Amino acid sequence: MPSTFTRWLVVLGVLVVAGTGARCAMAAQAGESRIAVIVSSRDHGVQTVDPGTLRNIYLKKVFVDPHGHAYIPVNLPPESRLRQAFSRAAIGMSERRLQNYWNQQYFQGVSPPFVLGSEAAVVEFVAKTPGAIGYVEPCFVTADVHAVQMLTLPAAASLPPAAACPRRPVR
Amino acid sequence: MSNPRRRYRHYADLLVWGLAAVLAWILPAGAAAADESWQAQPYQLGQGLYFPQQSLRVGGYADIHFYSLDKHRAALSVEDLSLFLSRDIGTHWKLFSETELGDALVIDSQHATTKDANIDVERLYADYHTRSGITLRFGKFLTPVGQWNLVHADPLVWTVSRPLTTTGSFSRHASGAMLYGTVNLRQNDLDYWLFADDSKALAFTRSHNLAFTDYGASSTLRNDFQHAVGGQFLYHMLDDRLSLGASYVRYALKTPRQQYRLTGIDFGWSGRRVEFSGEGIWRTADSPQVPDEYGGYVQAVVPLPRHLYAVARYERYRNSLPSQWVTLRTFGIDYRPESGMSLKLEYREGNNNAALAPNGVLASIGVLF
Repeated sequence: MPSTFTRWLVVLGVLVVAGTGARCAMAAQAGESRIAVIVSSRDHGVQTVDPGTLRNIYLKKVFVDPHGHAYIPVNLPPESRLRQAFSRAAIGMSERRLQNYWNQQYFQGVSPPFVLGSEAAVVEFVAKTPGAIGYVEPCFVTADVHAVQMLTLPAAASLPPAAACPRRPVR
Repeated sequence: MSNPRRRYRHYADLLVWGLAAVLAWILPAGAAAADESWQAQPYQLGQGLYFPQQSLRVGGYADIHFYSLDKHRAALSVEDLSLFLSRDIGTHWKLFSETELGDALVIDSQHATTKDANIDVERLYADYHTRSGITLRFGKFLTPVGQWNLVHADPLVWTVSRPLTTTGSFSRHASGAMLYGTVNLRQNDLDYWLFADDSKALAFTRSHNLAFTDYGASSTLRNDFQHAVGGQFLYHMLDDRLSLGASYVRYALKTPRQQYRLTGIDFGWSGRRVEFSGEGIWRTADSPQVPDEYGGYVQAVVPLPRHLYAVARYERYRNSLPSQWVTLRTFGIDYRPESGMSLKLEYREGNNNAALAPNGVLASIGVLF
């Protein structure tokens, strides 16, 4: 029979392991609730994008950067939960308000950002298109793109675990 | 345009501009032409049809209006059929045109007619994105005074009728150059428009800038710019839920040939249960013989269940020719089953309004396509 001391040691060990696991899980969840705003690694001129500028790039109020190079924002499909979370976090509008906004802009000759079908397609397009800017979950970021901003979502807006994350080390 | 030589010149100008526009639309796209990665998006009502290889978007809007007004025969009108063409050329240039077929068919209890049909180039301009927050525009564009004039298409506004304040005292279009954009000010956006108009030299289409456009309006007063300079600022606050705007234009009209100064203010507030908006203008003439013209409206929109909206508007407008106060009260209901589509029914009544916007019932169906 193990001594009382040994039993306490085992219980303590289990608690430590469980606590560490919980912290890891929370960290992973926190990681999954962030959105990386990416540009091509070849766009050396763009290191960061402030929240106000990011919003205006996606609302097509700002078309070129301070050096005169055109921005090409790309979106995920409207039904994407990541897009909905991005719209709330970066633009501050629900999809319904955004739809009204784009109807009014359409009348003024301005069209919404182009839509790409998946996060992998966003990374691929941004990597090879100077001026392109997109958003993906952090696990999709590759060496060909770099994150100019990390958006942290409030707990209530957390995304479900990214089942489609590519099988490669998270950067 | 009774003079045959002037008419010939008008059509020749239209032809030249039309040819230039056609060439610009059909030539291959420039350096930043659509990459193969840019796949055509499925068509969506209210966003036009996009052709990626040409970087061309084709769309527009159409609306049918019905009106039954005091001392006027009830009628149905194919009011607007507008075609938008928008094309990116490279990464910095964009062309946009809106060609409108107006009053294509009017049907009343006695006959159907197309005699009032008219075709006009409402807008035709080129935009050049110079640097962050600054875009240059050249051509014919909407005059930046208030928000209604900039977004006036039937499917995008809440009522069939248009407030007098948004048409009565200035030209709805300008031809010339404009500088516009958005800058960040104290964590909020400030939109600005600064323009110079020389319609006397540049206007290439017959103008339709009637001062009072509502059904039953007996006034034939026109507001065609000769020259104008002005601008507008619009400051957005509270995550775009509140906007405050101000505009100023100094201009000369063709007839009556006068110099005017116009000052305008506008606001919009969007809450969960109600949306308020309003505009006000005040126009003075250099000549003391011409009375001041001023007015404004306040409009409230309340969302109801099943895509319905209740709308109420109150407007007071003091016209200069004839010099009198007009009061209008408008109550309506708007059904928006999906984005880009609107069905409206409204009742309008007022005081001293018979000549500009008579009492009665108006309805419309509008689609942005």
